[in-house]
Amino acid sequence: MSTLLTYISINDGKIKRSSLEVLSRCNELAEKHGLKSAALIIDQDPAPAAETLKKYGPSVIYTVKNPIFKNHLNTPLLKALSTAVKQINPRVVAFASTEGSKDILGALAANLNAAALADMSEFDLTDDGVKGKRPVMASKIISAVEAKGTPVVLTVRSGSYDVVEKQTDSSVESIDFAFNEDELKVTLKEIISASSDRIDLSEAEAVIAAGRGVKDEEGRKLISELASVLNAGIGASRALTEGGAYDPSLQIGQTGKVVSPQLYIGVGISGAIQHVAGMANSKVIVAINKDPDAPIFDIADYGLVGDLYKVLPPFIEELKKIKQN
Amino acid sequence: MKFYVCIKQVPDVNAPLQIKDGQLVQDADRNILNAYDASSIEEALVITEAHGGEVEAVLIGPEKAKETLRKALAMGADSGTHIVTSGDEHYDSFAYAKILATFFKDKEYGYILCGKQSQDTDSGLTGSMLAEMLNLPYSTNAVGLELKDDHIVVKRQGDTGQEMIELASPGLVTCSNDMNDPRIPSLKGIMQSKRKPVNTVALSDLNAGISEADTKTNILSFEEKPEREPGKKYEGEPEEIARQVAQLLDTEENVI
Ligand SMILES: Cc1cc2nc3c(=O)[nH]c(=O)nc-3n(C[C@H](O)[C@H](O)[C@H](O)COP(=O)(O)OP(=O)(O)OC[C@H]3O[C@@H](n4cnc5c(N)ncnc54)[C@H](O)[C@@H]3O)c2cc1C
Ligand SMILES: Nc1ncnc2c1ncn2[C@@H]1O[C@H](COP(=O)(O)O)[C@@H](O)[C@H]1O
Repeated sequence: MSTLLTYISINDGKIKRSSLEVLSRCNELAEKHGLKSAALIIDQDPAPAAETLKKYGPSVIYTVKNPIFKNHLNTPLLKALSTAVKQINPRVVAFASTEGSKDILGALAANLNAAALADMSEFDLTDDGVKGKRPVMASKIISAVEAKGTPVVLTVRSGSYDVVEKQTDSSVESIDFAFNEDELKVTLKEIISASSDRIDLSEAEAVIAAGRGVKDEEGRKLISELASVLNAGIGASRALTEGGAYDPSLQIGQTGKVVSPQLYIGVGISGAIQHVAGMANSKVIVAINKDPDAPIFDIADYGLVGDLYKVLPPFIEELKKIKQN
Repeated sequence: MKFYVCIKQVPDVNAPLQIKDGQLVQDADRNILNAYDASSIEEALVITEAHGGEVEAVLIGPEKAKETLRKALAMGADSGTHIVTSGDEHYDSFAYAKILATFFKDKEYGYILCGKQSQDTDSGLTGSMLAEMLNLPYSTNAVGLELKDDHIVVKRQGDTGQEMIELASPGLVTCSNDMNDPRIPSLKGIMQSKRKPVNTVALSDLNAGISEADTKTNILSFEEKPEREPGKKYEGEPEEIARQVAQLLDTEENVI
């Protein structure tokens, strides 16, 4: 029986929610088309994640274990993926769209002489491949696309599908893999990480995004206060990551990250299409901007027209009160 | 060291566009240099200005796309290659990568730079496909590059932070527009660009052997994005609207 294979992304030992979204979609498709849904974990220590994964419905969990997978590095990851795919021979290899999967998708497709579809917002199987939808033109429009052949490799935008739990008796099969570090022509020297207690933006339930209107230390303080009341991740527009006020990894949008929280609050952000490309899928959008004609108000559910320095203090105070009750 | 920069002409996403019968209708006069490629050119120029070397821009596209190659030369690239297509074909990233791989087969270089993605399609595939086809080590989503003796150190934006990666030469890097602020060509640059060498190659003469099977994905149609229901604007006393919306987020939306 042919297989739909979901690659499971793990950060700091934790399975990324977006991978479970993709796995849930593959479970659903497998059932609909009479196929098998399987998962693939490539990690220095895949066992704990494999155990967790049994709650999410794959019939087989393939693991590749090697200390080299402690940090992301494309050469060994690519080799492991290509080994696993050749062994499993799946119809589809699906990834959550992350910086890690974007790094290897094209190379994997070239290696397997396979079709690749990036950043899908929807996908389904056809008789001889995959069809689906993806946003284009800075997410101004949607294009319907198809790919033919076996396998098709694809990445899926976070928030495109719901996570559905499904207890199964999954078997765990380990795949042999050896890697000679001398083959490496890429060497990871160092990871400069954003402070580790920060909430992962792409997974956060609430996101506060700061834009150029947040001018100074006082503004940034208000942003942190708001984020801490709501236990939200902090993101920023390009105007602020470019200027160095916020870490570049916090950029939301076409160049930056895609977020899909329950609540997004844009503060002093105009709503340029390239920013909106990364947050339009948020469930509830709140915008605070002093310009009543700012484009962000066209997509905001709640548009607060006013000076952020005047609006945020009472807003934070009121939220604190609500939280306390 | 020689740097090749792969550049693409793309439609300006800010130009008005229409969907007619599932097809995209755009103003062909509003095509631009892909923003991510402008950053690749800038970075190659900065490095070669500091350490010596040369920069060649490579573009696959119809006759009209030559203006974009000229822009790269006006920014400061030393030379260009234009691989000319009819403009009617619907190539995907795989097909472009294969054409580029054929072009690079017998070339010598330190590094090939690509954009991390096309601004119009956001595919982000060509760079790493090309690297794999040429069997080159590569790094994507670079936000910084530094040349150290015979290799470069790439700062790339990863999932957990910025990864500092040593990349051997020859290699390939895809660049983010977070890397730099590309220069605007000066008048002098524009004048000089007219005298710079451009090697024009017809795609058919390249013998890339592109067949139907090399375009592995197809665009079936384009659709409008589903509109969000317009929400409500709150204007007035900051204190009042702030408290009102905070309440609604709790009682109406249940997101607090
Ligand atoms: C290829 C490409 C990729 C890009 N990728 C991204 C991306 O990933 N993410 C991204 O964000 N951008 C991206 N951009 C940039 C984008 O086009 C915009 O330039 C950027 O989003 C603007 O940021 P901003 O809204 O903070 O600033 P501005 O557009 O300058 O808006 C600032 C807003 O703050 C308001 N304001 C000012 N003071 C106050 C105050 N005191 N109180 C309340 N409101 C106030 C103003 O009315 C204004 O609306 C990209 C651009 C390109 C070309
Ligand atoms: N027609 C082309 N000519 C030259 N380079 C191209 C072309 N198409 C894609 N590229 C390169 O690939 C990058 C984009 O990849 P992709 O997002 O897959 O289209 C661009 O930034 C270029 O560096």
